[in-house]
Amino acid sequence: MGNKGVRLRDMSKGADEPLLTISAADLMPLPRPLDQLGTRPPIPPLSENQRKSYECALDGVSALTLPRPQNKEEEDKLVKRFLDGLRKLLSQNDNWTFWQPLVQSLGSCVRCQTCNDACPIYVSSGKQEIYRPTFRAEVLRRLINKYIRKRGKILSKLTGDDIELNWPTIARLAELAYRCTLCRRCAQSCPLGSDNGLITREIRKLFSQEMGIAPKELHDTGTVQHLKVGASTGISSQAFENMVEFMEEEIQEKTGKRIKVPVDREGADILLIHNSGEFMSWIENPVAFAIIFEAASLSWTLSSEIYGYEATNYGTWYDDVQFARIALKQIDVAKKLKVKKMVMGECGHAHKGLIVIADRILADDMNFPRESFLPLLAELVCNDRLKLDPGKNDFPVTLHDPCNVVRLMGIVEPQRQILRKISPRFREMEPHGVENYCCGGGSGFAIMSSTNFKDWRENVSSRMKLKQMIDVFQDVMDPSIKKYVCAPCSNCKGAIRDLLNDNGLTEKYGIRYGGLVELVVNAMADIEKPFIEWEG
Amino acid sequence: MGGLILFIFYGSILFFIVACVLRGIRFASAPLHLHWELYNGSSVYELTDWWTKTENTVGKKLSSMMFDILFLKEFYRRNRRLWYPLYGFHAGLYLLILWHAWLFVSAIITNTETASNLGWVWGTFATGLTFLGGVGILLMRMTDPDLRVYYPPIHYLKWIFILLTLIGGAFAVDIHFHSSMPALLKYVRGQVTFADFEHKLHPALAPALHVLFASVWLIYLPFSHVFQLFFRYYHSMRWDGVPNRRGSEVERRVKELLERPVTWSGPHIPVGRRWKEVASEPHPASGTGMK
Repeated sequence: MGNKGVRLRDMSKGADEPLLTISAADLMPLPRPLDQLGTRPPIPPLSENQRKSYECALDGVSALTLPRPQNKEEEDKLVKRFLDGLRKLLSQNDNWTFWQPLVQSLGSCVRCQTCNDACPIYVSSGKQEIYRPTFRAEVLRRLINKYIRKRGKILSKLTGDDIELNWPTIARLAELAYRCTLCRRCAQSCPLGSDNGLITREIRKLFSQEMGIAPKELHDTGTVQHLKVGASTGISSQAFENMVEFMEEEIQEKTGKRIKVPVDREGADILLIHNSGEFMSWIENPVAFAIIFEAASLSWTLSSEIYGYEATNYGTWYDDVQFARIALKQIDVAKKLKVKKMVMGECGHAHKGLIVIADRILADDMNFPRESFLPLLAELVCNDRLKLDPGKNDFPVTLHDPCNVVRLMGIVEPQRQILRKISPRFREMEPHGVENYCCGGGSGFAIMSSTNFKDWRENVSSRMKLKQMIDVFQDVMDPSIKKYVCAPCSNCKGAIRDLLNDNGLTEKYGIRYGGLVELVVNAMADIEKPFIEWEG
Repeated sequence: MGGLILFIFYGSILFFIVACVLRGIRFASAPLHLHWELYNGSSVYELTDWWTKTENTVGKKLSSMMFDILFLKEFYRRNRRLWYPLYGFHAGLYLLILWHAWLFVSAIITNTETASNLGWVWGTFATGLTFLGGVGILLMRMTDPDLRVYYPPIHYLKWIFILLTLIGGAFAVDIHFHSSMPALLKYVRGQVTFADFEHKLHPALAPALHVLFASVWLIYLPFSHVFQLFFRYYHSMRWDGVPNRRGSEVERRVKELLERPVTWSGPHIPVGRRWKEVASEPHPASGTGMK
């Protein structure tokens, strides 16, 4: 059962029982046809062995598979390391990368709780206290007040800030940093400009940069693998070249056209860089880009150089050092290829990471021109550089806005200009644009699947998006009517794929998902066969 | 006692000025942080080759700041229930600040003997509005479960002290000065022009108490949320996506920052190296778990 009476000080309680166990009745109700509550727990409990091995005293879920310390000495060492990290977080010298917005966010919250209803996780969970967007920030604030500020221990007693720092507190806080997708909808709604999303990322950073604690999917098989092999998916240069050959075969099969996909073309205008997950799971997306760019006679290329075929940068979500390393290596590829600019494909966090955040670590020739594919595509579509027949997209289409592209970057209109031009039955989800809801897979959640975390994601963090997708198609739920959720972001697609499949929405109600470029190619007048495949 | 109050009052003014300047310096000299902007609509990134185009956001930023500070626009939009008492309080406070400024100016430049009672109406209305807003906020803070959660108990005392200050002000004007503007202005003129220093050293209780309360607020103000609200527009986090263009001031500061040492101790971070070196090493260390 949910537990709304959790207090901040409960974070330091003995680690035997979780602070919260979510039941189906706790969760935000869904509209028809998913309005029937199941009796099975939405998030299956961890096995006995898992419970013994991993910390799960926050909510019975383990995103980090954080091992339990073996003895008191080890616990004390971890507490000391945490405090060292906390001091660094608050030091201008150690944490120049985010010191100013962190201090501002910690200091400006007036506890008006205006942000609460903006948080899809808090609302979807049935307003469970530990998921309140201010909860984790308040825990951090009080730990700082008590353990870092001068005379903090005395003052914290007087001001009611008292919270004990022990291993259970730290273990719960580490997990709690991964119950927020960093969508920053709360920050957008804060009248004082406090950014709880940033505070969450700073907590993640403390754990990673000081204590070596991070989800394996983000670190070991994420950024570390990326830096070692060239892509977070583990794709090598050779494997990438094979995939390009496969792309060419696909293009011929789907369109009858023979296109030589340009790779490593020195001096091209554009280096197009995709999330390598597209090559693994959605090859039709890079295929569609190639068809469009060739049809518009653009000077472009892909890169087979290590780091040149991977747009992701998981460091964006948890670690400044890993983030900087990857961003610099990606830029270096473009520089060596002597292209005029880098263009990001359909990957939200790559947009925000490489175009916006990396902006403050680049100088001189590394300050390389980078932009989104969206303005370019909008120019091609709206200036009639492509022959399009919108009648070929005569089915209901809705747009999922990736947070990184809209609220976190301010690219709102180009994708709408394109859809209005190519999809006569385009309809908006509510809310949308900069007020959109996260897919629930943001900040790495879409690729994190250890233990029961994926169940938590699908039932809690993705629940609002699931509701939105059903709401927007409520009048056309008949399975004979094809429906398309356009999600121009790989991670969002991953989360939406799981939502549609696991709730039977594709099979029973004909709701399909895909990217934006696929819709554009589907509308191209000179391609006979439909590009979008509705079966399978 | 009078000397002490005098010392506290002028000391608090000095403290207020110094604290504001120091806070401003601390804020302005903070290192440039990574670009972590939020957008409330379309940005320059909607343009191809955006780095070749200029976008002037100053006017937009100033207008959002004015609307926010004068009308608490974001509260109005996102939390209407709280906005009503909050706006009453702030509007009253702004009027009260203006009223004090008017008092000081008109005490010097006008004939205090013939002052009309309009000034009294202004001051009383502003005090009443601030008081009602303050009571409303305090009641909501005490009764609304969401507003109570995490609200530090010491802040309730702050609200009570605000209300006491307002009562003290009203008491001084209406009881001590019998709601007479000429009497009040004459008193203020004496204070501002240092005409009667003896009087300053032996002030009457009601105005002295009010001056004492005001001094406490002057000391508190530089650390208040009102100041945070002001600063938020100057840290490139909301509605201010200034990009790093080649040869720009931003780029110059970036270069300096990359020379700083990386001091974190994670297993993937080498000891004693600069950001520039760590970020560009060809084969970084790896793995989770403590060193």
